[in-house]
This record gives sequence, C-alpha cells and structure tokens, in this order.
Amino acid sequence: MSAPTVTVTREQAEDFLYQEAMLLDEWHLDAWLALFEEGGTFEVPTTDYQGWDRTGGGFFVLDDWDLLKARVKRLKSRKAHAENPHSRTHRMVTNVRVIRGKDGIELKANFLINRFRDHTHHTYVGRYHHDVALNEDGELKFLHRRAYLEHELLEPGARLSFIL
Amino acid sequence: MTQTIAEGLVETGHGGLIAQDWNALTFRVNREAYRSAEVFQAERERIWGHSWLYLGHETEIPKKNDYKVRTLGGKPLIFVRGGDGVVRAFLNSCPHRGTVVCRDESGNARNFQCFYHAWTFNSSGKLSALPGDDAYAELDRFKGSMDLRPVAKLDIHEGFVFVSFDPDVPPLLEHLGEAADVLSMAAEQSATGMTTLPGIQRYGVKGNWKLAVENAMDGYHFSPTHNTFVGYLRETGFAVTDDDQYAYDLGNGHSMLVLTGHNGRLGMLWEPRFGEAEKARTEANRKAMAQRLGQERADTIGDASRILFVWPNLLFFDLEALTIRQLEPVAPGRTDVRAWQYVPTDEDDEARAMRLKTMTSFVGPGGLATPDDIEAYEAVQRGIEASKGDSRGFNDWSDMSRGMEREAKGEKGRSIDEGAMRSFWRHWDQSLGKVPGVTATSYEGGNE
Ligand code: FES
Ligand SMILES: [Fe+2]
Repeated sequence: MSAPTVTVTREQAEDFLYQEAMLLDEWHLDAWLALFEEGGTFEVPTTDYQGWDRTGGGFFVLDDWDLLKARVKRLKSRKAHAENPHSRTHRMVTNVRVIRGKDGIELKANFLINRFRDHTHHTYVGRYHHDVALNEDGELKFLHRRAYLEHELLEPGARLSFIL
Repeated sequence: MTQTIAEGLVETGHGGLIAQDWNALTFRVNREAYRSAEVFQAERERIWGHSWLYLGHETEIPKKNDYKVRTLGGKPLIFVRGGDGVVRAFLNSCPHRGTVVCRDESGNARNFQCFYHAWTFNSSGKLSALPGDDAYAELDRFKGSMDLRPVAKLDIHEGFVFVSFDPDVPPLLEHLGEAADVLSMAAEQSATGMTTLPGIQRYGVKGNWKLAVENAMDGYHFSPTHNTFVGYLRETGFAVTDDDQYAYDLGNGHSMLVLTGHNGRLGMLWEPRFGEAEKARTEANRKAMAQRLGQERADTIGDASRILFVWPNLLFFDLEALTIRQLEPVAPGRTDVRAWQYVPTDEDDEARAMRLKTMTSFVGPGGLATPDDIEAYEAVQRGIEASKGDSRGFNDWSDMSRGMEREAKGEKGRSIDEGAMRSFWRHWDQSLGKVPGVTATSYEGGNE
C-alpha cells in the first residue's frame, strides 16, 4: 500500500520556517527542539561542501538526536561560555519552496542571519534544505534539518556557537 | 602581589618578554607578546620564515595534477602533485610580474596559466609556453629561468608534508625529533593506511596564534571551560578524570599531552556512547593491531589519547578520533585555522559516520566544546588591552607558573599544569630574541 499523498502549501511551509526563526531569535530552544520529530538530525557541512553525506567528509555540525538534545541543553546552560551572554540574532528567511520528492517533503529556503556579540556583527548567508513530515495533528516537523553556508570560510569571530 | 626577587635568579628571556624566576617558582609572559605588531612582524620573519611549516597531507592531493592553494606565513602557495606523481609546493606568484597564478582553491590541472600575459606552467612548475616568445633574447636560457618558484625545502613524514622558506633548515626528521614518532603512531592505526577527508573546517579566530597553542597544551582549562561538554560525556556513561595525565616537552618547541582519562577512542578504546557495534569492531581492531605491530606498540598507540603540538603551526589531536589542525597567523589579534579529519582508509560506512559525528560533536567552531575554547582566546585578546602600558610592575604579565615547583624538582609535568606552555614559550623566546621597539613593562616593582 502506498503512503497517502500529503500536501504542504508554501504558506504552511513559510509559517513553519518563520515561526522557527522567531523561536531561535528569541532563544526559546525547548520550543525549537519540539519542532523536530523524535530522532531528527541537524547538519551544517563545511564551507567547501561538495555534496558528501554523513560518511564522506567534514561538517561543522553533525548532530544525531542525542547530540541535538545535548546541544540544546548546553545552550540553555550558563556554562555554554561561547553563548553566555547570548548572541543577538536576527533572521530573514526567504525564497521558500516546497518540493515533493519520492522520499517525502523537502522545504528549501534561503536564509540571512545577522549575529551581534562583543560589539561586532557577522552575517551568515546560506540555504536551508529540510526534510519534513506532517504528524498526526497535521503539524510540520523536521526529520533532517540542514543549513548550507555560502561562505568561503567563517571569517574571524564568526563561529557557529548558536543555531544556524 | 608581593614578590621577592633574589639577584640572579630571575631569567628574563632574550627579548625581555618572558620572565622565569626559579627562586619564587614563577613564570610570566608579557602581554605585548600577543598584541604587538612588531612582535608579529618579527615572528613572520624569524619563526615563519625559518622553520619547517606544516603545509598539508599527501592524501589531499592523491592523483597526478591534483592541487590545493594554501597560505602559509602570509605567502600564497600551490600544493600540487605533478604529472610525474611528485608532491611539490610553489609560490603562487607568477615569475613574470607576480600575479597569483592559480586562483581556484583546488582542482586537477595539467597546466596553470597566468591570466595576465598567459604564461603557462605545467603541474611540475615548468614554464611550458609564453606567448610572443620571439621578443626575448636567448630564449631557451630565459625560459629556463622562469619556472614557478618552488619553496626552499619540502619533505614528507608519514604523508605529512612540511615546507620551509629557508634553505638552511636542518633535515625534517631532525626538526621533528620525538614528534615524528607520535605522527607515526597515528599513521599506524590502520593496516591499509590513513587519509584526510574533504571538508576542511576553515575559520578565523580573533586571537593571537599563540593563544591557540596554549589552549591546546592546557589541560587545566578542560573542566571549567568545557563544563557542558563534560556534562554530556557523563550522561553518556563516561567518567571523565584528570588523573594520571602528563605533559611532555618534546624539544625544538614541540610538546604533547598524553591523556588517559578524557576520551574513549574509536577503534581503540570503547565507551558506551559509541554503541555495541563499535565494541566488536574495537576488539577486532585491537587484536589485528597487536598482530601487525606487536602487543607493546599496539597498546602504546591505542591506550592513550594525545594532543601534539609541532612547532610552530601544527596541532594534531589523536582523541576520540583524529584531527589535523593548522594555524596561520594573520595579524597579532587574528588567526586562521584549518582542520581536517584524519581517518583509516578501510573503515566501513557505519564506523565512519560514528567517527565523523563523534569528532564533530567536540571539535570545530560548531562543536559542543571548541566554541568555548575560541571564546576563551578571543576573550584573552580583548582582556589584555586592560593592562597595556600599565607601569605598575606585574600587571601586564600573564601567569604560567602552575606546576613549576614540580618542574623544579624534576618531576613529571601533569597535563593540568602549565609546563607544556612554558616549554613552548621558552622556545618561542629563543627563536624570536629581542624585537626592536618592543619593551615589556618591568618585571620588578610589583604593586602591593
Ligand atoms: S604576470 Fe603572469 S604572465 Fe605576466
Ligand atoms: Fe579546550
């Protein structure tokens, strides 16, 4: 029996990603984690990314579900020195597209994140490619969340201690 | 702070920027060492210009005509395997008028053509064509003198490629000394060999390069700085300890921490977070290693983690997994870092995924630990402005006295002491000497 066809509109996808951006900018990390299906993953490949998978090469972030939970727990701690005090972030999510592949639904979007800390400012530019699913309640959830940077390298001070 | 200084017992370094007092058992570094443009310039000339420098690993350019461009000591270079299979490094600068010849980051090319006047060099550096060559007198002699300029020295140990801009450096193995065997121990971890993976973590840090070296050689910071990471390890069933871990001065500026209490080691020492499949793999791997290398060597390699610093720009982390990290000073307060995963070639996908995940969880600007290290050295770089020019004695000196009493007694230095930092600074001081125009605030005259 084939799976029932699910439809996600661009409006739904936008609402989902905008809501996520707000949760991250306001540092509501538990609520952010709740946007994932249990067992979800989060990846940020290195800036010289050539399309490898989780066995093929370098990443900045390669979280499985346990690490993702550990990351959130860490960032909520006052002992996450790199984010204490927190960075101020300001996210723009645009060019949202819903792609229905044979493996499910993929949300693609562009992002631009401005980050302020230590009286300096960094801009992160990239693309989101997220595999998502609709749960029983009709809510979108991340299965695999991926952020790809367009940068050639992370310029001085531009570490990824916050959620990209 | 009160300080009695007995005549003759204070040894200030050649340049006056370090001060060690074997009477009071203190060791201090003047903060100008991290801030001063003159010091930075002198380092470029005297250290970067005259040492062996880590360029890259042979496996980054496995095929004929593979190349990478890379900057060392501020000099743009081409790291290339020629059509003849030989690994070389050239200044990435046209012998004609100086243009950067190769403007791609990496690739495979039989020829490099300078776009300015279209001189063409083959991947072994030979000038193969120059347009309008009838305008040159003694063409053959002229052409022969216009090949890409190679670095003065290049040598390879276990696939690790080092170069020097000084033709008179001692042989590489002599320079590496005891550090050579530590790299060999890493290379011997797989019967089929080790390789670097694509996907370099490239990031800049707003801190002096020496702070990155100090941080790697400093076990003292591990618990407080990495509190959240240690917490994660504990939750996965791993007991973290600082006991029985030591620091070694390997000579020539190289140093090493040998750690037994911080890490499980993939394929070497199992811990619960690695899962059951990895347990069986580790057992089989250790057995095979003992057969191949002998029990004693296999145990030496497998039982302890190592953090190795090879003077002046290579940090090698043989921890849960293996990472090569290269430092490139850009300015007194800015360092570029590049980091590679170093892996056994014969690993299956499941083990490889575990390895990449495990190492990425710790190291790199997006890991659960390295960002706090970066925060630490960036915070030092900002904080040391506070005491700049302060004439009140000790204020403008950073303290690295921890464990000096043990050192004076000739005891083994612990990883949680600061002995590896002291040996680094002593070598730095020797290499640098006096820098004109740089004066440290006086070591004496402490303010009570
Ligand atoms: S500068 Fe390269 S060909 Fe003229
Ligand atoms: Fe650290």
